[in-house]
Amino acid sequence: MSTGNETESEVAAGHGEHPAFLAHHFHDAAQQKSAVKLGMWAFLVQEILFFAGLFMAYFAFRALYPETWLVAHELLDKRMGAFNTVVLLFSSLTMALAVRACQLDDIKGSIRYLWITIACALGFMVVKYFEYSHKFHLGLLPGKYYSYDGIEGGAPELFFSVYFMMTGVHGLHVVIGVGIMVWLIFGPLRQGKVSSKYYAVVENTGLYWHLVDLIWIFLFPLLYLVR
Amino acid sequence: MSSSHTAHGHEEGEHISSMSTYLSIFGALLGLTVLTFAVSYAELPGSWSIVAAIGVASVKAFLVAGWFMHLKYDARFNVLVFLSAFWFMAVFFGFTLTDLTTRGALFDYLDNHAAHAEAGKKYGSPSTFKEGHSGGH
Repeated sequence: MSTGNETESEVAAGHGEHPAFLAHHFHDAAQQKSAVKLGMWAFLVQEILFFAGLFMAYFAFRALYPETWLVAHELLDKRMGAFNTVVLLFSSLTMALAVRACQLDDIKGSIRYLWITIACALGFMVVKYFEYSHKFHLGLLPGKYYSYDGIEGGAPELFFSVYFMMTGVHGLHVVIGVGIMVWLIFGPLRQGKVSSKYYAVVENTGLYWHLVDLIWIFLFPLLYLVR
Repeated sequence: MSSSHTAHGHEEGEHISSMSTYLSIFGALLGLTVLTFAVSYAELPGSWSIVAAIGVASVKAFLVAGWFMHLKYDARFNVLVFLSAFWFMAVFFGFTLTDLTTRGALFDYLDNHAAHAEAGKKYGSPSTFKEGHSGGH
């Protein structure tokens, strides 16, 4: 198991070279690495298909109420959405650089990039807070809680059901991402478990974070921009 | 495990991209964001607006997946796994949207049918559709 640092005695105890991070059921580090990576990609596929249900709801209701969609999306603040897009893209860059720093054995640099990524994630949530509170104030709420009367066309509450569900679940992913990154910093990175030989834990966090960015890349134009 | 598993030993994911690669990908992503923002103000006819939006978003997704997520340097099998998500999504979207967009025609057909054979027939309103009448053409 992966407790403690790699020591001479530990290497001697195993059959041949056996680094601390290598779980006993793997043949070698490369096999462990590819298995861990494949597992992460399978998880990401699940995430995409999970969000696909929400995108399907978007397209289905859009097909049923095209006029409502055109009017309702004008009530979202394009500039706030665009700002958040840039923030999230930048956080993806710093996340990629955090992984790169691990590849270069620069653990301190990796921690620094992760803090920047966390700051971007929190900034994203702050902007979302302002957007949400504005809509709460106007009564642009999902389903039966909808009380705004400035939209002509059928079922405007459906647009906001879809909007809050998609951005809400996406926001939840952002918050979970922050939690994982904080854990990464105070856990594996600070405890010296990560090096250029073993950084799968940082890499997989990166893949998760980039997927959150990827989802937003589609959410932003579909919700805020499309006419 | 037998010791014949050395095939797993190939060094994948070890590629270290340069700082300038990451910065230029980020620059391209910013440029595409500006583009999609600008296009949203242009009065594109019909459904070209959504086509343009999804097109630009797909290019951005390609850049993020290829370079930020290292798929370009990853095992080919992982690329296949990732792409399978889009295949399943296409099946899901394709069948559901086909159903949704052709239902109106089916209801029209049932309504017309009811007009011709008013008495005694159950065809007519969309609710009869749920009872399993296919119209039998």
